[in-house]
Amino acid sequence: MAKYRTFLNRCLLLSILLTASSAYGHMLNMTNIHILVDEQQQSTVTVSIDLGQSLLSAEDYWAATQAPLNEQHIYLQPALAQLKQSLRFLVDGEVRNLQMIDFEIGALSLDAIKNPLTPQMATLRYSLNVANGERIGVELDQGLEIPWPCLVKINVFGQNLPQSRLLTDYDRISIDASLSEKPLMHTTSLASLMSGWMNIAPGVSWVAVGFQHIVPKGLDHMLFILGLFFLSSGWRLLLIQITGFTIAHSLTLGLSMYGVINLSAEIVEPLIALSIVYIAIDNLFSKQVARFRLLIVCFFGLLHGLGFASVLANIGLPQEQFLLGLGLFNFGVEIGQLTVIAGAYLIVGWGRRQVWYDSMVAQPATIVIAGTGAYWFLKRIAF
Amino acid sequence: MDTNNRSNGQKKISMMLGIALVTASLFVVEQAVSMATSTLTFSPRDAAAGTFPEVWIHGSKSAMDNEDPAVQVHAYNEHTYILRENKAVNYEGAFMYLLFGNEKALLIDQGSTASPALFPLRDVVDGIIAEWEAKHGQTTQLIVANSHLHGDHYAAWNQFVDRPNTLMVGLTHEEVMDYWGFSNYPEQRIEYDLGGRTFIVTGTPGHQSSELAMYDTWTDLLYTGDMFYRGRLYLEDWEAWAASIKRLRQLADEYPVTHLVNNHIEMTVTPKVDYPVGTTWQPEEPPMQMTLQMLDIAVDAIDDVNGPGIYKYEDFMIYNEIPWSYTTDP
Repeated sequence: MAKYRTFLNRCLLLSILLTASSAYGHMLNMTNIHILVDEQQQSTVTVSIDLGQSLLSAEDYWAATQAPLNEQHIYLQPALAQLKQSLRFLVDGEVRNLQMIDFEIGALSLDAIKNPLTPQMATLRYSLNVANGERIGVELDQGLEIPWPCLVKINVFGQNLPQSRLLTDYDRISIDASLSEKPLMHTTSLASLMSGWMNIAPGVSWVAVGFQHIVPKGLDHMLFILGLFFLSSGWRLLLIQITGFTIAHSLTLGLSMYGVINLSAEIVEPLIALSIVYIAIDNLFSKQVARFRLLIVCFFGLLHGLGFASVLANIGLPQEQFLLGLGLFNFGVEIGQLTVIAGAYLIVGWGRRQVWYDSMVAQPATIVIAGTGAYWFLKRIAF
Repeated sequence: MDTNNRSNGQKKISMMLGIALVTASLFVVEQAVSMATSTLTFSPRDAAAGTFPEVWIHGSKSAMDNEDPAVQVHAYNEHTYILRENKAVNYEGAFMYLLFGNEKALLIDQGSTASPALFPLRDVVDGIIAEWEAKHGQTTQLIVANSHLHGDHYAAWNQFVDRPNTLMVGLTHEEVMDYWGFSNYPEQRIEYDLGGRTFIVTGTPGHQSSELAMYDTWTDLLYTGDMFYRGRLYLEDWEAWAASIKRLRQLADEYPVTHLVNNHIEMTVTPKVDYPVGTTWQPEEPPMQMTLQMLDIAVDAIDDVNGPGIYKYEDFMIYNEIPWSYTTDP
């Protein structure tokens, strides 16, 4: 049995070695098919193929490239006819005919055509009638030998992402792709959020990233803001502290993004956790807000700014919009902070003047904040 | 007065106890969730140890007589597998990576051969996953991704399209950017969470315009794909590659890196000497993994390269913007 399998493997190996010449060398001359469906449901199919390594001899392809423009099709005719017969587009399961629009051919030299490592690609363009909601598949005849693999890319107007299909010597029928306008979205990723907003208002995307870094991703920043909320007895005091915190974190965010200061996340992140513990314990044990509280809040603001900077550095601001992006990100952070405050007020803030507020709301919440901050601190230094 | 002080003191103590209780409860809940769900921890604090083979299976004099497995499987550690396509099946001898996190596995690249008969990558990957799932009591979603979009790294992609519980990232630049979450490629760094195992992903174009590098915070391995390996670094865009290699150096400055791992071996153990293009037997291969010193040499090479051409270094060669048919073969 083992011997039989070895023999079979050798036969398979031999067969692939005999047919692999077109796939030699990093598969540079692989074939590409691009289906583009526009707003009017008109479809353009562009085939990029190394004809001189596949459907034509190198000499014939070279002759075609050297012929006058109005005679090139004569040389290409055998290849075009074979493609017409062997390359099929199935729309909702039925073959739909291609109409050739034009082609572009060219080559550096006959030697370059002969060398699969220097692909001399031809571009063939066709039109294809399709309608919204239909499904399209691509099929290649068994007899058709083209440089493999063959990557099919389908772009449909209204879909935010293309669809890709792969055809190989062994898989000559693609899975259908939808031509529905319904947007395709692999993930609810930041990129999707950004690209969606970019089309409407480019700046809004940076505001969105800043906002998202507070709500819902910045739980530690949220707890710090809530710590300030639970201590402040009045709006004026809260506003002063939030403003001081904002100015401070904007400062370090800016300086850090410009490379003036640089502190490792391994130092910054535990300190941010400690700042939450400090604010919460200060809330619990101080009878009133100390005068230097504002200074401490500003100091913690500097730390939190370094935390924001590491996030923004990971995203990477485009050089041409650096200052604008930085400002808009920061603005998004501010909106996020104000949203947290507004949310806290709506849920419990209305009871601030009630006798039960301190013992039933502020103190238990602050204990939870301090405990959570301590948990993060220990995790960030120990694990 | 004393009673008030005592009362205040007790109150403070009870509040401190409350804080300690919250902290302890969070640790207990975390531990309980971890135990209940068989959750694995991939702490970035210390580099998870791993090993490379002394030598990789490197083809044979006669490809026809080769009886080695089509896919060599090497467990760097119990959650990190490095696979290599047999050079007798395809001379590229491409490396692929299967990385596990909680309930997720990431397959980077799918080799250079489409045929399941010659190159049964799907069977091999399914086997590794089944064994891993049985050992760790988890069900795993497979994510099929690519280091870059060249056909010698996704030829067996179709073997996975009908696989259950599998996410195919896609083979177009737009799909790749969307999956990883790039909004500012290539400069951006993405923090990618593979079930509790964090990777830092960044763009490294130059060899190909959709290429990615990944730093594994758990193993401290830096994966550099086709843009930096022991071989001929074919560059289609010199400026982009130079920026990418600096970006890798910056990443390595900020994070501890134990080894650089990649996609091919084309050099011999003799400095500045490579195997000819198309070689299916490489008895004198150097290790696949590379060092930070080699990365430094690549960074310094930016000053050497002053136009299209071949630039030789001990452990790699830069083929800058020249037709790939040019070789250093005798």
